[in-house]
Amino acid sequence: MAKLLLIEDDAATAQEILGDLRGRGHAVAWAAAGPEGAERATAEAWDAIVLDRMLPGLDGLSLLQGLRGAGDRTPALVLSALSDVDERIRGLRAGGDDYLAKPFALGELAARIEALLRRPADTRETLLRVGSLEIDLIAGIGRRGGRDLDLLPRELTLLEYLMRRPGQVVTRALLFEEVWNYRFTPKSNLIDVHLGRLRRKLEAAGEPPVIHSVRGIGFTLTPDDEPR
Amino acid sequence: MTDLLRSTTFRWALGIALWSVLLALAMFGFVYWQTVSFLREELAETLRLEVRAAAEDPAAASARVETWIAMDRHATHYGGVFGRDGRRLAGNLVGLPAGLARDGDAERVGATIEVSEGSLGDEIWATALALPDGGTVVIGHDTDEIDRVRATTLRAFGLGLVPALALSGLGGLLLASRARRRLAVTEAALAEVMRGDLRRRLPVGSRDDEFDRLARNVNRMLDEVERLMGEVRSVGDAVAHDLRTPLTRLRARLERSREQARSVAEFREAIDQGLAWIDQTLAMVTAVLRIGEIEHGLRRAGFAPVDLTRIVREAAEFFEPVAEDKGVALAVAVDEGAGRSPVEGDRDLLFEAVSNLIDNAVKFTPAGGSVRVGLEQGPAASVIVVEDSGPGIPPAERTRIFQRFYRAERARQTPGNGLGLGLGLVAAIARLHGFPVEAGKAPGGGARLTLVCPVPAPTDPARRRLAVAQAGASAPAGILQPRSGRDPL
Repeated sequence: MAKLLLIEDDAATAQEILGDLRGRGHAVAWAAAGPEGAERATAEAWDAIVLDRMLPGLDGLSLLQGLRGAGDRTPALVLSALSDVDERIRGLRAGGDDYLAKPFALGELAARIEALLRRPADTRETLLRVGSLEIDLIAGIGRRGGRDLDLLPRELTLLEYLMRRPGQVVTRALLFEEVWNYRFTPKSNLIDVHLGRLRRKLEAAGEPPVIHSVRGIGFTLTPDDEPR
Repeated sequence: MTDLLRSTTFRWALGIALWSVLLALAMFGFVYWQTVSFLREELAETLRLEVRAAAEDPAAASARVETWIAMDRHATHYGGVFGRDGRRLAGNLVGLPAGLARDGDAERVGATIEVSEGSLGDEIWATALALPDGGTVVIGHDTDEIDRVRATTLRAFGLGLVPALALSGLGGLLLASRARRRLAVTEAALAEVMRGDLRRRLPVGSRDDEFDRLARNVNRMLDEVERLMGEVRSVGDAVAHDLRTPLTRLRARLERSREQARSVAEFREAIDQGLAWIDQTLAMVTAVLRIGEIEHGLRRAGFAPVDLTRIVREAAEFFEPVAEDKGVALAVAVDEGAGRSPVEGDRDLLFEAVSNLIDNAVKFTPAGGSVRVGLEQGPAASVIVVEDSGPGIPPAERTRIFQRFYRAERARQTPGNGLGLGLGLVAAIARLHGFPVEAGKAPGGGARLTLVCPVPAPTDPARRRLAVAQAGASAPAGILQPRSGRDPL
């Protein structure tokens, strides 16, 4: 599917990440050190780069700054064992598009890479339609088929986020960051309860489910006019 | 002795002694100079008046000069009337002093004086004026008197300087060695602390001087260090203990599955359960690290004006479905005008703190009960209040619940309730912000937890900055700026 470069010095971690991403159909190359990673990053075109914050030889942030300085806009996700929020801000300032603190679930990483690869094309669109779902962001209303949905503002935002990414797996952490716009790890069941409510509203008239749980990772919205 | 010379206190004492000697010198110099010039001017004035009087009446000049000379028994008055040819007509000066201008002004000149045994040369103060007949009248006075005063003063000062120097030097030494003695005691105590005896304290005197204040501050610091060390120790124990439980379960589960699982589905189930337990332990480790991070105050840099109204409403909204599922009524009450003045803080952390307070309240409220989340506006602070209709917190536990890993009795009795990290995190966030957090009793007997957020003074730039921040971020981020949450700032 996508051509990815992983720059990570810990071999065991790298093997797990490689195995997982390859299992999801990505072509992933691995560099174990900073200078080597920088060389490979510039030598070829990549769909996305996943790099560790601390690397031997050349640390991840300097590497990223070098790439960005050279005009390389390849989406980059920074991995770090440092969970400090300032660290995160530093990572994003250096040109990272996303930041994931270790330890993380492999599913979370895959979902975030997916999110980087498939950024919504036009976020200014205010009338969204996915299968039988339809929302009008200006009027603040949602419809399924011909039925009006009684959605709270937050539920509308949540649905919008999912509808902009049909078929894409979004994790709980991503939802919390992007829909609630706060940054910490809430108990996972809180997001699930919100999703459950939204789901019930979407399926109130006996329609087939459109939001599906992805075990151990998060959720995905599947258009109901396509076969799953 | 070299030790003493090297000590700062001694050098200070020496410096002060030298400075006081310098001051004394300067002061004496001034007094001396003033005295001498006063005496000189006084004498000069007398001479000027006398010579003018003598010159005014040329006929009586000689008599006046003789009177002037006779006025003094100690032979310190001199005078003379000289004719046009320089011949002496009267007085006790042998000749007209050489170089004396006839302008009536006093000057110091050499003169020859007639005494009973003959004549002698001496330095005198003299004035001269011309007489109408071409002669000169001279009035003079001995210089010895002023010279004597000068010499005496100088000698007195010289003699006084020696004891002054000795005294100030001695005082300096005394001060220095006293300070050194006090420091030596302090140093000894500190050395013991450095060797690891954290219970040792510095001696504090009764004078309440800067040494005492310093010692008291160091002692306070040591108290804090000791408290933290104790906390670290108990946290370490608690972490180890709380980690062991899920890890033991995990190990047992893996072992059992390895032996007994028959199908892929059974293995999957075991692995999923294992992952859940690992996530639980990781969440705990992350929380401990986060408390540490927050307590180190690393995040103050991220402070900005925060709209509490929004945080309180959004946190309550976030928990509403969970509360509803549990059969707990969650109500939000924001005072009219509350939160209009923004407070300085970290919005993510404050949201987390409010979330933890609500989470805690929902957790301990039985089905059918209620939780009230409020933002109350006081004169100088906005107060975030979370009340529940649960069993309440016994007074003895009200401060301890904010300690890390402290699990209230009621929590231990309720199975499946997380670790005592939630309120510990609230306390850490509150400490970072300098907001007092307190537990009390709600009107219905349940728990009432409050977070007091002082509002900065109205002139504070925070208010203006918030206005700008609100204008930029008023739209729900998900709609117009779906990725705005990712922006570095």
